Amino acid sequence: MRRSPIAHEPFITTRLGPAIDWARKNSLFPLPFGTACCAIEFMGVVSSQFDVSRFGAEVVRFSPRQADLMIVAGTVVYKMAPILRTIYAQMAEPRWVISMGVCASSGGFYDDYCTLQGIDQIVPVDVYVPGCPPSPELLLDGLLKLQKKIDEQRLLEKP
Amino acid sequence: MDCEVSLGFAPLAILIPLAILVPLAMLGVQRLLAPRRPDATKAAPYECGAPILGTAHPRMPIKFYVVAVLFLLFDVEVVFLFPWSVLARDLGWMGLAQMLLFLGVLEVGLLYVWRKRALEWE
Amino acid sequence: MPNPNPDRVRGHLGEDFLADCSSHGDLVYAVHRRGHRRVLRALRDDPELRFDMLMDLTAADRMHLPQRFERFEVVYELYSLWNGWRLRLKVPVPADDPHLDSIHDVWKAANWAEREAFDMFGIRFDGHPNLKRILCHHEFVGHPLRKDYDRRRGQWCATTETLEDELQLRRAAEHRAHNGQAEPAEALTSERMLVNIGPSHPVSHGTLRVLVELEGETIKHAIPEIGYLHRGFEKSAEKGVWNNVIPYADRLNYVSALSNNVAYVKAVEKLAGVEVPDRCKFIRVILNELSRIMDHCVCNAANIVDVGALTNFWYLFSVRENIYKVLEKLTGARLTNSYTRVGGLARDLYPGFADDVRAVLKESLPYVHDVLTLVKNNRIFQERTVGVSAFSATEALSYGWTGPCLRACGVPLDARKRDGYYFYDQFNFDVPVGEKGDAYDRILVRFEEIFQSVRIIEQALDKLPGGPVDTDRNRFVLPPKQEVYRDIEPLMNHFMLVMFGTPVPPGETYDSFEVPNGELGFYIISDGSGKPYRVRVRPPCFYLYQAYPEIIEGSMVADMAAVLGSLNVVAGELDR
Repeated sequence: MRRSPIAHEPFITTRLGPAIDWARKNSLFPLPFGTACCAIEFMGVVSSQFDVSRFGAEVVRFSPRQADLMIVAGTVVYKMAPILRTIYAQMAEPRWVISMGVCASSGGFYDDYCTLQGIDQIVPVDVYVPGCPPSPELLLDGLLKLQKKIDEQRLLEKP
Repeated sequence: MDCEVSLGFAPLAILIPLAILVPLAMLGVQRLLAPRRPDATKAAPYECGAPILGTAHPRMPIKFYVVAVLFLLFDVEVVFLFPWSVLARDLGWMGLAQMLLFLGVLEVGLLYVWRKRALEWE
Repeated sequence: MPNPNPDRVRGHLGEDFLADCSSHGDLVYAVHRRGHRRVLRALRDDPELRFDMLMDLTAADRMHLPQRFERFEVVYELYSLWNGWRLRLKVPVPADDPHLDSIHDVWKAANWAEREAFDMFGIRFDGHPNLKRILCHHEFVGHPLRKDYDRRRGQWCATTETLEDELQLRRAAEHRAHNGQAEPAEALTSERMLVNIGPSHPVSHGTLRVLVELEGETIKHAIPEIGYLHRGFEKSAEKGVWNNVIPYADRLNYVSALSNNVAYVKAVEKLAGVEVPDRCKFIRVILNELSRIMDHCVCNAANIVDVGALTNFWYLFSVRENIYKVLEKLTGARLTNSYTRVGGLARDLYPGFADDVRAVLKESLPYVHDVLTLVKNNRIFQERTVGVSAFSATEALSYGWTGPCLRACGVPLDARKRDGYYFYDQFNFDVPVGEKGDAYDRILVRFEEIFQSVRIIEQALDKLPGGPVDTDRNRFVLPPKQEVYRDIEPLMNHFMLVMFGTPVPPGETYDSFEVPNGELGFYIISDGSGKPYRVRVRPPCFYLYQAYPEIIEGSMVADMAAVLGSLNVVAGELDR
């Protein structure tokens, strides 16, 4: 566990830090962990009418080694929870999670014996996008909020 | 006499250092800037989140190897064809005869492979 | 629906006959569990009755119902393809000794259905090759659909099953198939590789998991696992009133949500004996066909992308976006509409709907034609899909296949033509039928169905009558808001409907509807309280996906993608 070797250099981090954050936020590689209806809306976001590639995030990668943003789109049930946890663990830092839809955020209206009541019980979530399913504009808004968050995160200085 | 100036090996002298430096620079930037937090689960092979069964290095059926080796052999044969084809006119009939002899030797090998059914997939 | 000759059926039941429970136009018999296996086999083999399809196998917990034989009841819904007859058999199972014979060898469709009945109710099926949980996770304790299981009691799962036990069963079966002798020589020198193509994979279209054992590139064994999107539809349906199930029904086959809406309310209306006005029927037909177009677009787009052609994905999704615009204007939502209500619709069409739909179809058809032109005679596409996973019609029928997949195998079964509900018998349309049942046929059948759906929509728009959209039966649908605020009668009506639900009388029935993926059936039981007692979904995908190992074993790994996409397995419906 170590920080970046240049993290203690104030000149470099105040100039380089925002540059790195800018590069990272504009080239997010989403991992669409799509389970249900929200995955179809995610496909709509990726397709030509709503075009997520305007924001640099059109390269969807299904392998956690190659992705840095996991978009959990759809209901996660208890059976799926270990899978989600493993895939999150296999992503390399820096990594972010968007919880798309109410099922991923809180279980949605599936308040029953098999549905995980929100993925934040097993993975840390950066942005919650409500909706059932959220319209594509709302997901893009969530992505922009995440980009703003990345700007503020100062990753170089994090341990 | 043409007016072309032969560049010689100058393009290579630019390309080879670049080919070495660019990946080194990328790796260096990663070493400087990236966080490093290794973890047992992170290092495990990716099996779509499910537990891993079996190894990634079983004994593969021999036919993959056979195809690869045959490809390699005949690809090298084709590589030899290229310089001959550039100078075919200058080499004349003698060159053609020599090349046909070369190909003929290799065709015997191809016939052998064909008869032994190594070209069939199943 | 036409029914078979009751005397002939009774002849087969013999002394295991318990009671005649026919109602609502269905022929239903209760049979004792000591003889139901013999009876079912006889019904299948009878040359005149020929019940060659098991449409559904399910169970019900009748603990709170006044009329019952025992606590549990296993329900067999049979269908005769040749005659178009339906029959339902119910087998009572006592709570203290819940077991009965398995019929997995009579119809292959029963295999997974019995596993589900075991998972949900705890009923054991003697003789089943692999009776283990299928929808709930392997650490789950209890049986959730029993009436004494608290709906909200969740159980965490810490690990994922390795599926080794099922793999050993398959290997043993293969060993037996070789009569215990050593396998052919090539297998002695190469080892097999186990690859898990798991729930999070682009090819798996959601949450399907397959463990494949590969020899080189050939799949020797494929073990599917489902249940990664089991959200408890059937248990949630019992929690609210009849109309509250509609949003849950949307999310079954979420790519064609309106079809599920219509199928569900049609079943409830059959149970209640309610007839909706003609205008409502025409609107439901138009929306069902628009959903069909959307579903086939998504299915083919994803399938063709998996085979390698990305452009078609953008084109076909544009078609979907165009239809979304109309649906958003009509229902308020793009994807999960919840537009129908028991007894009618949520609201009438907006003025200009017909013009909008015509404009959308006119704009979208060229996209579909373009994609078809790009793909139909494309050499690479044909190499990837022609002859891949050809499936015979008899096998398909034994597995309970319906819909475009069955039609691609050569069986022209379409509930719209057969039952003629909602004026489908008055529309001019064809049913495309394939030949070999391979992936190519399935894809082309879906494309053709898009064109036929466009024909139906145009005819329906031309013939759309005026009038009300809700039934005029008293106290069945919400009265208009202006009246609710003015008079006490509509106010009470509104209150009773919202708080205590639509007054559906006690009884049970099974109703089927042709959704884009096949026959979506609903087996519903009402206890007269305004809340559903049991809502069983007969999901077409469940029976399609069960045949997946049989189709894919022997093919290459690359064919998995083409085949899985062509089956159109939607996890929301598969796992409910």
